[in-house]
Amino acid sequence: MATLHPLERKVLESLSNREWKDVRSLSISSGLKEDQVRRAVEWLLQKGFVEKHEVKHTQMQIKDKPAELKLVEILKSSGGTLSLEQLRSVLSQEELSAGMGKARANKWIEVKGDGEASVRLTGTDYSIYFSSFERISAGKELSAFDLKYLEDLSRRGLVQIKEHRSIEYRITEHGLAALSSQHEEYLEGLTAELLASGAWKGKRLRPIDVKADAPRFYPGRRHPVREFISEVRDVYISMGFTELHGGSIQPAFWNFDALFIPQDHPAREMQDTFYLEDLQDEAIRREGVYERVALTHENGWVTGGTGWGYRWDVNQAKKLLLRTHNTVLTVKALHEYGNRELRVFAISKVYRNESLDYKHLAEFHQMDGIIAGKNLNIKHLVGFLKEFYRKLGIKDVKLWPTYFPYTEPSLQIMGYSEKAGGWIELGGSGIFRPEVTIPLGVDLPVLAWGPAIERLMLLRYNLNDIRELYSNDIGWLRRRRQFASGEG
Amino acid sequence: MPVVKADLERLARIVGAEKREIVERIPYVGLDIEELTESYIRVEYSPNRPDFGSDVGIARALKGIMGIEKGLPKYRVEKGNLKVEVDPKLHEVRPYIACVLAESLSLGEEDIRQLISLQEDLHQGLGRKRARAAIGLHDFSRLAQPIYYRAAEPDYSFQPLGYERKMSISEIIEKTEQGKLYGNLIKGKNTFPVLEDSAGNTLSMPPVINGSVTKLTVETKEVFVDVTSTDKKTGEQVLNIIATTLHDMGGRLKSVKIVYSNSTEVTPRLKPFTANLEKNVVERLTGLKLSKRDLAEYLSRSRLELRGNRVYIPCYRVDIMHPVDIAEEVALGYGIEKFDAIYPPPNSPGERNKFESFLESVSNFMAMSGLLEVMEYELTDEKSLIGNFSREDSGIIRVMNPKSIEHSLLRDSLIPSLLSVLSRNLKEEYPQRIYEVGRVFSRKGNTFDEHWNLCMMLSHSKASYSEAKSYLASFLNTCIGIKTSTEPSSHWAFSEGRTASILVSERETGVIGEVKPEALECFGIYTPVSGFEINLTMLYNMLNNSSHSI
Repeated sequence: MATLHPLERKVLESLSNREWKDVRSLSISSGLKEDQVRRAVEWLLQKGFVEKHEVKHTQMQIKDKPAELKLVEILKSSGGTLSLEQLRSVLSQEELSAGMGKARANKWIEVKGDGEASVRLTGTDYSIYFSSFERISAGKELSAFDLKYLEDLSRRGLVQIKEHRSIEYRITEHGLAALSSQHEEYLEGLTAELLASGAWKGKRLRPIDVKADAPRFYPGRRHPVREFISEVRDVYISMGFTELHGGSIQPAFWNFDALFIPQDHPAREMQDTFYLEDLQDEAIRREGVYERVALTHENGWVTGGTGWGYRWDVNQAKKLLLRTHNTVLTVKALHEYGNRELRVFAISKVYRNESLDYKHLAEFHQMDGIIAGKNLNIKHLVGFLKEFYRKLGIKDVKLWPTYFPYTEPSLQIMGYSEKAGGWIELGGSGIFRPEVTIPLGVDLPVLAWGPAIERLMLLRYNLNDIRELYSNDIGWLRRRRQFASGEG
Repeated sequence: MPVVKADLERLARIVGAEKREIVERIPYVGLDIEELTESYIRVEYSPNRPDFGSDVGIARALKGIMGIEKGLPKYRVEKGNLKVEVDPKLHEVRPYIACVLAESLSLGEEDIRQLISLQEDLHQGLGRKRARAAIGLHDFSRLAQPIYYRAAEPDYSFQPLGYERKMSISEIIEKTEQGKLYGNLIKGKNTFPVLEDSAGNTLSMPPVINGSVTKLTVETKEVFVDVTSTDKKTGEQVLNIIATTLHDMGGRLKSVKIVYSNSTEVTPRLKPFTANLEKNVVERLTGLKLSKRDLAEYLSRSRLELRGNRVYIPCYRVDIMHPVDIAEEVALGYGIEKFDAIYPPPNSPGERNKFESFLESVSNFMAMSGLLEVMEYELTDEKSLIGNFSREDSGIIRVMNPKSIEHSLLRDSLIPSLLSVLSRNLKEEYPQRIYEVGRVFSRKGNTFDEHWNLCMMLSHSKASYSEAKSYLASFLNTCIGIKTSTEPSSHWAFSEGRTASILVSERETGVIGEVKPEALECFGIYTPVSGFEINLTMLYNMLNNSSHSI
């Protein structure tokens, strides 16, 4: 048995109740376009699966009601008698004479008087004409009488008769057989049973609409900030850095004192730093590294400097706080590893007592790193930062002087961003002061930097408000593009 | 960070250069452009350079780096007759005073604005909110000399600046705005410092408020400056910055004799101070091999001077405290933009931190299980952390003086964070399945605990304990590979009868359950939620203690 084309199958299905149908109604019932139906029935005719016949259709268009009927209605509604004068006021002369002619011939009316003539219904039954006209107007089946009356009306130009022909199709017995055999041959889908039994062999899967939309699905995904951190981490690892991990809660000593930030420095005040309520680090007392740092603050100790010239207070150093920068982690590593070549990095959260706005957060991420090594100087800092940022998509980097208490020189990293159309601030860098390294037992030069990552992320995701990164809008997290365009 | 607003026209005139060139060079003296318009520029400067607190101060540095005027700026102080007598009773209160008199001034509105702004920045920065040093600027023509810096009783009264009548010291401290701000710096001693002239006029009550008699105006030709302090060196540094500024505004400086009970001093001392040039430090930091001549040239562009082996440093530079600071001046004079870039290649490969790797693997596993990662703030507010669950708040760590109550507590659980995310995403398609790998904090007696948790929450019309347990089992069995059990328990976030402790090697490491409807209602969530939270730090330590090495 020959297989059917999908168009043929649909048309045959529409004809399966054995009725005659034309192209138009087949198109509606099959959902195909009319020309698709035409093509399909041509094929089907050739195969003998359908037959056709021609049908004649007459269609009547009523122009006006016959005048004799109008006349009778008027007389009836006025009690049966009206003067000619009165009739002239409601019917045109043409209608009046035609109507009077027919009505008199049928003996429905009689005319009386000479000067003032009047017209009167005779009582002869005229209802058959009314019902006949009704059937003609409604396009109902017509009796012999009706057809006669219709002929009369059409001659008088009151009814127009249109005739047209159309072709209708009907399924043949062969067609029905072909259709039922198709039902058996198409598989709706593969099943474990079909595959196991091999019953799929020689059959085809029912074609489906491959253009139709499928239900949307959201894969599991990492947060974009975590993804970006992974990317920066890979860059660091590729440049020979070892990753650090450390606590968010730190004593003021490591966050500030060890970095030569004097105890009355404005950055240490509560309006900038989150101190923890009644908790402190009791391990800190004036001995060992703590004492060396204390002396450096007070008088420079053996670092070669003058120090800040104030009395260092151990209680200030014991306070616990949320780290304000990740330099606390790199400087601790410096203390731990001692005077040797070192490359370490920490990408982690820092905390500032800030009010949130479009460019400030109370919690954000910094990607700190340091390189300790012989003969390192400003040139190497510039060289490292250019390469580091090139890998992160920033084409050029330059440095501007700035100030941090723990680096000298202190340099602001400026990056050229094509998206921003100019130079943008990326973060701080510098070379640790001897007042920082010597108390930790390190006299090698130490290059250091600690920029935030959020600035680069705003560029990458074309955001203007830093808060959007952490709004956890599930819609954005689900639908954002994985490969965000461009730099950053 | 303090900010100076400078009129560009005026700055260009003082420096003697084009406006455009000035704007270009400003970043290279360490100033950060905050705002730039046709007529003015606002720059942020670092607190280590208080001499940048006025446009004339910035001009000095610009002239140097642009090569217009190099080397030490010259300051001359003529010997003056003015005397200030210091009351020994102030020794315990605010012992030091340093003064200068600037004559022949013709101050414009802009000069006065610059002076007031400099004065304010010095109060905040070097003066440490006036605790260490406070400045008075006075119209000298209204004063009768000598001047007395003396101790007064609380009932001493005078008319403070900005007030219509005389007030007593106690009244000033209690009622005036400045009194409330700065009164505590001198309170509790019962004697208060005042500056008075020979006619009994009160110049000021340092560090709180000035008198009304001696206010500066554009008519002022002679300015008397007093700097009172608790630290002598700071007081003199502050005075030097004001004095050099007045000098650069065209003033002739006259010295003032300060008479203490056992010594006499003459202020200001504007002589440069000196330091040895340590060439090896310069070379080590900059990587430049420099001749004496080069060194002298670069230092002079930073307005320092090299004579022999000594570096002369202007009196207003309070930031030079180590040979590396001199090295930086050389680098800036040379031009930071001119340094070659040398990439230092690594000697050894890099290395991941094992715990960070573990956290990342856990997160990857959860994402691969079809969940969406979120990252919430660690600082949170009372309502979402505690109130919404009607639970005990023992063990919660609070921070002091948060700017916003949204950041007043450190979370001890990720559950409130994730419910908060769900409550903000009610219009997004369900099911929602989210997780976070994050830090939590708690107080343990006198110390604290900080560790990492994994929390997962499922939200949809059929979210159940059983679905949460599927995820938990898949995580523990296939990601971690440790045998666990769940035992009935109760928890502030979950419904009774639908809550269990997660036990790993008989130790409680987490909790799983269906979130109780009371909490969902508080968060405004009208879809069932179930989930679990587990201590990753603990799991990591268990893994490392079991034999995981090959």
